[in-house]
Amino acid sequence: MIQSVEKIYMPNDNTVFIYKMTTTDGIVSDVPHDTANRHYQEILEWVENGGIIVDNGA
Amino acid sequence: MAITRLGPNQDITAAKIAGTINFKNLIINGDMSIAQRGTSQASVGTSFTYFTVDRFKLGGSGSSGARFTMSQDTDVPTGQGFAKSLKMDVTTADGSLGASDAIQIVQRIEGQNLQYLKKGTSNAESLTLSFWVKSNKTGTYIAELRDTDNSRTISKAYTIDSASTWEKKTLTFEGDTTGTFNNDNGESLRLLHWLYAGTDYTSGTLATSWESLTAANRAVGQVNLADSTDNNWWITGIQLEADTSASDFEFLPYDVNLMRCQRYYQKTYNLNDAPASSTFTGHLDISGFSDGSSNLLFAIPFKVRMRTTPTVTYYTSGGTSGQWYAGRNGSGGNATATSYSGRTAESNLSTYVNLGASWTGGFVAGHYTVDAEL
Repeated sequence: MIQSVEKIYMPNDNTVFIYKMTTTDGIVSDVPHDTANRHYQEILEWVENGGIIVDNGA
Repeated sequence: MAITRLGPNQDITAAKIAGTINFKNLIINGDMSIAQRGTSQASVGTSFTYFTVDRFKLGGSGSSGARFTMSQDTDVPTGQGFAKSLKMDVTTADGSLGASDAIQIVQRIEGQNLQYLKKGTSNAESLTLSFWVKSNKTGTYIAELRDTDNSRTISKAYTIDSASTWEKKTLTFEGDTTGTFNNDNGESLRLLHWLYAGTDYTSGTLATSWESLTAANRAVGQVNLADSTDNNWWITGIQLEADTSASDFEFLPYDVNLMRCQRYYQKTYNLNDAPASSTFTGHLDISGFSDGSSNLLFAIPFKVRMRTTPTVTYYTSGGTSGQWYAGRNGSGGNATATSYSGRTAESNLSTYVNLGASWTGGFVAGHYTVDAEL
C-alpha cells in the first residue's frame, strides 16, 4: 500500500518527471507518468482517496 | 517426434502440426514454473498484488482477517509432467466473512492477444479452461472470466470432490457475441479462481452465461476456504484455449516461459534470489563520467521488450531500495538512484545517480527490478 509519493523532475529537463513512490513496507520505486502502468493507476486512486503528491518543484 | 516432409501441393493442416507448440494457452506460466518475486510470502490477504508465482496476482476486496501463505510448491499431480504448483495455506482463519470480503487468484490478459477470439461478433469463439486442483476443503468453487473492456462476466462452478486429492477440472465458457476486446496492451480479460466470497458476490444467481457485471452473480455457492487454518489449496496446469473441449496442457521450454513472464517483470538477481536479497550475485557495476550536473547516467536494454514503461525499483547489494552504491574520487557510499523519465521505456532502463560535485570518473553498482504487470 502507498505511504507517500513525491514528484521528481529530471536534471537538465524540468518538463519531465517521475513519481518516487514509497509503500508501507518501506520499498521505494520509480513510477512513470503512464496510464498503462499499474502503479501509476494506483497513485491516481490513492490521490482520489485523499493522498497528496509532494511536489517541491524542479 | 517424427518429422514429416510435406509435398508441394499439401497444406499445413491442424493434423499435420499436432504435437507442436502453437501457443494455444492464453494463460502465461500456467504450470507455475516461474516465480521471480520469490517462492513464498507469508501473511498475504491485506493488499492485493503480485507476491510469488509470475503473472498470478492475489485479487480481492474487503477487510477479512483471513491470512495466507502464498507459495510456489512442489506438490503436483503425479505423472502429469508438472513440477510446480501455486499453494494457498490458510494461516489465520475467518469463519464469518464480511459482505465485501473476497479473495481470488487472478491472471490478467492483454487485449491484443485475444483478437482471434472474435469476441463481440457472431463468430465469437468458446473458451475452455482446464486445470489441476487440490484441497482438503471440498465443495463448490467458482472460476470466472471477466471482460474488463465491456464490464461483462461469466462464471462456472466446479466441485472439489475428494479431500486432498489432485483432480482435473474442465470448464467451457461459450463465446460472447457482445462487446469487442480492445486491440492494445491493456487488460481485456481476467481469469479469477475464487477462494472465498462475501454476500456481495454470492447473493444473486450465478452468471453461467455472459452478462453485464453484477457483483452478486459472480461467485454464488463459493465455499469459504479461509474458515480453518487446516485448509490448503493448490492449483497448476491452468490452460485457457479457444475450443469447446480441453486439449493436453501445452508445456513450453523453461526459457520460453521465462521470456513470456519477462514482458511483465524482470530482475537482475539470479532467478532463485528474491528481490531485496543481500547479494552481489547478478548486480551491475557501471562506470562513467559526469553529465555536468554531478550525475552518472547509464542505460540498460531490457531482456525482452516490456508491456509498457515499467515501474523501477533499485536495490543496493545489501537490499536497501531506492539506492545504488556510488563511488568517486576514491570514496563511496549509497546514493539515490532515479529512473530517467522519457528515456526509460518499454525497451530499456535509463538511470541517473547523483555522485556529488567535482568528479571526473566514478562508478555505480546495484540491482533493479522492473514491473510492467497488468
